[in-house]
Amino acid sequence: MKPEEFRRILEDAILGSHEALEKIFELYDPLINKHSRIDGKLDEDLKQYILIHIALNISKFDI
Amino acid sequence: MNHQQENEDVLRARFTKWLDIVIYRAKLKYLRKNETKLETVSFDELPESSQPVYEGDLRQIASKTDFDFEEERLANAFAKLPIKRQQILAKLFVEEKKPEEIAKELNCSAQHVYDQRYQALKKLRIELAKEGDEK
Repeated sequence: MKPEEFRRILEDAILGSHEALEKIFELYDPLINKHSRIDGKLDEDLKQYILIHIALNISKFDI
Repeated sequence: MNHQQENEDVLRARFTKWLDIVIYRAKLKYLRKNETKLETVSFDELPESSQPVYEGDLRQIASKTDFDFEEERLANAFAKLPIKRQQILAKLFVEEKKPEEIAKELNCSAQHVYDQRYQALKKLRIELAKEGDEK
C-alpha cells in the first residue's frame, strides 16, 4: 500500500468510515492477532474487545 | 523517496506505535476485567453441591478416595490457587467428573472449565518449579 493511500484510509477511519476502519483492521490483523493470544491460544473474545477498543479510540489519533 | 512520501511513512510508523499501545492497554483492561470476574464469582446462588471446596473439605474428599496430598509441595501450590480453580481441579481429579458435568453444576460453559483447568495446572507447574528452584 502506498503511503498516500494509507493516509487517506487512516483519515477516513478517524472520521468514522466503517469501510476504512475495516481496512485498518485488515492491515493490522497480524498485530491484533499477536496481542489476542492468551497462553499461546487465540482468544476470540479478547480479539473482539481489542477491535472495539480500536474503533472507539481511533478518532483520538492525531494526524 | 521524496519528502512527502517520507512524511507519510513517518505517519504510518507513528500510527503503528500508537496502535500497539492502544491494543496493549485494551488487553490489560480485558485481562483485569476477567480476573476480577473470576475472583468475585458469587457462590451464594449455587446449589449446595457446587459450594466452594475448602481445605477441610478437600481432606475429607481425599480420605474418601485414593487421592492424597502426600507431596507437601503440591498441597502448598494447590492451596495458593483461587478457590474456584481448586474446586474445579477437585471435581476433575478427585471426583473424576467430566468437564461437561462440572460446567452444569457450576452453571458455566465446558470451555470455561477447560480453561480453568489449564490455568490451574499451569500455575501449579510454575509454583512447583519455583519451590524446586528454592531448594
